[in-house]
Amino acid sequence: MRDFEYSDERISSREIMVAMPSVVIGAGVLSLPSDLASITIGSDGWISLAVSGMTAIALAWAIAKLASRFPQQSFMDYASHLVSKPVAVVMTFLLALISLQYTAFEVRQIADVAKQYLFDRTPLEVISLTFLLVVVYAVSGSREGLFRLNTMFLPIILLITVGVLLFNFGWFDFGNLQPIFQTGFTDLLRGAGSSVTSYIGFGILWFYVGLVKDPEKAPRAAAIGMSLPMLLYVLLFVMIVGVFGNAATANLLYPTVELAKTVDLPVGFFERFESIFFVIWIMAIFNTTVMVLDVAVLALHTLFKNTPKIKILLIVTPLTYLVSMYPQNLLEVSRFGEIISYTGVGLTVFLLILLSVMLKIRGGKP
Amino acid sequence: MRLGAIFKKKNKQKSKDSGQENFTVDIEKNLDKNLANLRKMLEEPNDLVVREVPIGNTRSAVVYIEGMIDKAFVHKNILNKLQEYQTDADDSRKILEEIFEETITVADVQKGKTLDDAANALLSGSTVVYIDGARQVLIMGTRGWETRAIEKPTTESALRGPKEGFVESLRTNMTLVRRQIRDPNLRFKTYYVGRRSKKKLVLSYVDGVIHPDIVKELHRRLQSIDMDFAPESGYIEQWIEDSFLSPFPQISNTERPDKVAAALLQGKAAIILDGTPFVLLAPVTLGSTLQSPDDYYERWTIGTLLRTLRYGAAFIAIFLPGLYIALASYHPGMIPSDLAFSIGASRQGVPFPAFIEALLMSLTMELLREAGARLPRNIGQTIGIVGGLVIGEAAVTAGIVSPIMVIVVALNAIASFAIPEYSVAISFRILLFGFMIAAAFLGLYGIILAYIMVNIHIVNLKSVGVPYSAPFAPSFFRDWTDLVLRLPVPLLTTRPKYLQTNDRTRTGKGDTDA
Repeated sequence: MRDFEYSDERISSREIMVAMPSVVIGAGVLSLPSDLASITIGSDGWISLAVSGMTAIALAWAIAKLASRFPQQSFMDYASHLVSKPVAVVMTFLLALISLQYTAFEVRQIADVAKQYLFDRTPLEVISLTFLLVVVYAVSGSREGLFRLNTMFLPIILLITVGVLLFNFGWFDFGNLQPIFQTGFTDLLRGAGSSVTSYIGFGILWFYVGLVKDPEKAPRAAAIGMSLPMLLYVLLFVMIVGVFGNAATANLLYPTVELAKTVDLPVGFFERFESIFFVIWIMAIFNTTVMVLDVAVLALHTLFKNTPKIKILLIVTPLTYLVSMYPQNLLEVSRFGEIISYTGVGLTVFLLILLSVMLKIRGGKP
Repeated sequence: MRLGAIFKKKNKQKSKDSGQENFTVDIEKNLDKNLANLRKMLEEPNDLVVREVPIGNTRSAVVYIEGMIDKAFVHKNILNKLQEYQTDADDSRKILEEIFEETITVADVQKGKTLDDAANALLSGSTVVYIDGARQVLIMGTRGWETRAIEKPTTESALRGPKEGFVESLRTNMTLVRRQIRDPNLRFKTYYVGRRSKKKLVLSYVDGVIHPDIVKELHRRLQSIDMDFAPESGYIEQWIEDSFLSPFPQISNTERPDKVAAALLQGKAAIILDGTPFVLLAPVTLGSTLQSPDDYYERWTIGTLLRTLRYGAAFIAIFLPGLYIALASYHPGMIPSDLAFSIGASRQGVPFPAFIEALLMSLTMELLREAGARLPRNIGQTIGIVGGLVIGEAAVTAGIVSPIMVIVVALNAIASFAIPEYSVAISFRILLFGFMIAAAFLGLYGIILAYIMVNIHIVNLKSVGVPYSAPFAPSFFRDWTDLVLRLPVPLLTTRPKYLQTNDRTRTGKGDTDA
C-alpha cells in the first residue's frame, strides 16, 4: 500500500529548488542596483553580480553537498559528530542568531519601503508589527506548509518581475549601458562584495537539507535554485542601468521599484504601477522572512528540545521586533543590513571550511 | 503510519451514558407476553398493527407499523400465505422453520431473538411474525413508504447533463449511483448513525481506484460519530471534517448522481445518508471547489473558458469591495485620473467613509440573499425587485451611498453567485468581509497581508489527509491539465495524481481503426 507521499513532514529536493530563490529574493534587490551602480562604472555592475552569484551558487552547492552526506540528520547532529557537541551548540546558536537578525532586517525593510511607496502617515511600528504577526502565523503552522507557500508565491513574483522587465523595453537605451568594461578589478570585487548581501539565504540549507527525502539530489537543486536569482538580478540591473543610466541609478533609493514606476500599462487601468509591484513584492519579502525565521526557530528547537516550537517562536518574536525597530534611519538600516550580511557570509564560509576539514578527518558516517 | 500521523487525531471518547433504555429482553414462549412486552416498550402506539392468525392449533401474530410498510405486499406475501398455510406439525419451532423456509414469499427474511431486534425492525419498516411457543421471531423486509419521486436537483442546475437528482431514500440514491457505475468494485459500506435516529449511512467508493488510506481514515471518523440524531448529511460533515475553525468547506455536497459518479472514479469517496438528498464527497481541494460538471460536458474550449471565468469570479467575489476601499481611501493616486475624478464626483455628499459605505451595502446584499432564500419563489422575486431596485436606487438618490459603490457591490454579488457550490460561495463571502476590514485598516498592504494569511491557512488545511492546496502546491503538473484549464477529453488520460489512486489511467489510447 502506498502512502500519500507528499503528506508528511519530509520535503523533496524540488522544494529546495523552489525555496532557494524564494529565500534569496527579498528586500535586498530593491536597493541593490543603487549600491552597485555607485561602485562600478557604466553597466559593469553585472560582472560583479555574476561573480558574487557564482560564489553564492558554489557556496549553496557546497553546503548542500556537505549536509547531504548526513541524510535525515539535523545540523546539530552532524555538527556534533564532526566538531564535538559544545562547538556545535555554539554554531547552532550563532546561526539562529544571524537568522533572527536577518528576520529583523527584512521586517524593518518592508516597513521602510511601504512607507515610501504605499503610505506616508501610517507609523513604521504598525506596518512592521502587522507583517511580523503574519510571518509568525505562518511559522506556527506546519513546516511543509512554508514550502508550499514558496511554491505558490514564487511564480507570481517571477511573473511580475518579467512583466516589469518587458514593459520597460521601450525606455531601454543602449547608450546608457556605456562605457563597458571600464571598472577596475578592485572595484568589481568591491561591487561583488556589496552585492553578496542580496544573495544571502543559503544558510537555510544547513538545516533544511536534513529534511529532504532525496538528499543526493539536493546539491544540484540548491545550485539550480540559486542561479535563478542571479539571472534575475543581472537582468534587472542591466535593465535599470539601461533605463535610468548609471548616475541616476546610483542616486535612487530603491531603483527596482522605480523601474516599476516607469511602467505605463497600455490599458491604463492602474496608474502608479510601482505600488502594485511593491504589493506583490511583499510576498517575496514574506517568503524570505518566513523561511529565515523558521530556520531560527528550527535551530533553537534543536538546542532546547523540550520547549515546544510555538513557545520558542513566541519568545523570539518580540526580541526580533525590538531589534528591527532599533535603527533610527535609513542609513542605519542599511548599515545594519551590511553587518548582518557580512557576518552571515563570514560565518557560513567559516563553518563550511571547518566542517569540510573535519569531515575529511573524521569520515562521513556518524 | 505517516498518513496516520498527519490526520488530526479525533479520538472522541464514546460516552456510554444511559441515554436510552436497553431492551435486551429475550423473546418468550408465550405470545401474549411477547405482545404485551412489545406494547409496553413502544407504549401502545396507535399506528402499531397486530393481526393474529391461527395456524392449525397454534396462534401467531403479524405485527407492523402502519405507514412504514408496503400494505399490498404484506397482504399478498405474508397474511395470505399464512392463512393458506396448512401443517401437521405441532411443535411451534418446526412451524417457524417451515414458514421461514417454505411459506413466506418475501426475499428478505431474518430471525430475531430479542425484543430489541423486533422493535428495531418494526421501527425501520419491517414486519414481524410471532408464533406462540417459539423463542424466535421472523423479521421480514417490507419497507415501503411514501417517497418523493426523482426530480431535477434544485440547488445545482446544469445546462447540460442528466436531470436526475438524489432523493431522500437511501436505496434509491444508491441505485442512482450504481446506474452510473456498473463496476463490481463499487463498494457500499454501511454504518448506523444516531443513537436515537439509527439512520443508515453508506460510505461509497470504487475499490482499486481510491487510495486505501482515504477509506481507512473515513471509516475511522465515521465510526467515531456518536450523536443523537442525524437529520442531514451536514451533521455528518461537521463531525468528520478536519478543521471546524476553517472558513473553507473540507467536504463538499451535491445532489447530482453524475457528479458523485465522476468523483468516485477520480478516487474520491461519497457518503450517502438516509433521509437526505445531499451526498457528501471527500476529499476536497481548493481547485475542485471551482469545478462544475458542465465543464466536462461542454467542449473543452468552453470548459476552459468557463473555468477561467470562474476564477475571475472568485477573485471579484473576494477582493472587489476591499480593493475599492483600499483604492478610494488610501491610494487614490493609483486610479487613472479620469476615473478618480468620476469616483470622487459620485462620492460627493456621501456622508460615510468608503468602508462604512461598502459594509452597509454588502450587509444589505446579505440580507436580501438570506430573505430571498427563505421565502417562496414568487415572493422571493418581489424581494429581489424591492431590495435590488428600490433600495439601491433610493439609497443613491438619497445620497447615502455612491452609484459606484452600488456597482461594486452588485458585481461582487453576481460574481459570488457564479461559484458553483453554495457552501464555497458562502465561505468566500466570509473572506470578503475580512478583506474589507483589512483594507479599511491598512489599504493595499492590508489586503496583501490578508491574502498571505488566507494562503497560510490553505497550505496548512487538509481534507481527509489530502492537502487543500493540492495540486497547486504541492505541485502535480500532470493535474494542471484539469485545473484551471480543461484539456480535451482524450488528453485527460490519468486520474488526479494528488489523490494517489491505485489505478492511474482513466482512458485507453482510443480505437483508431474504425
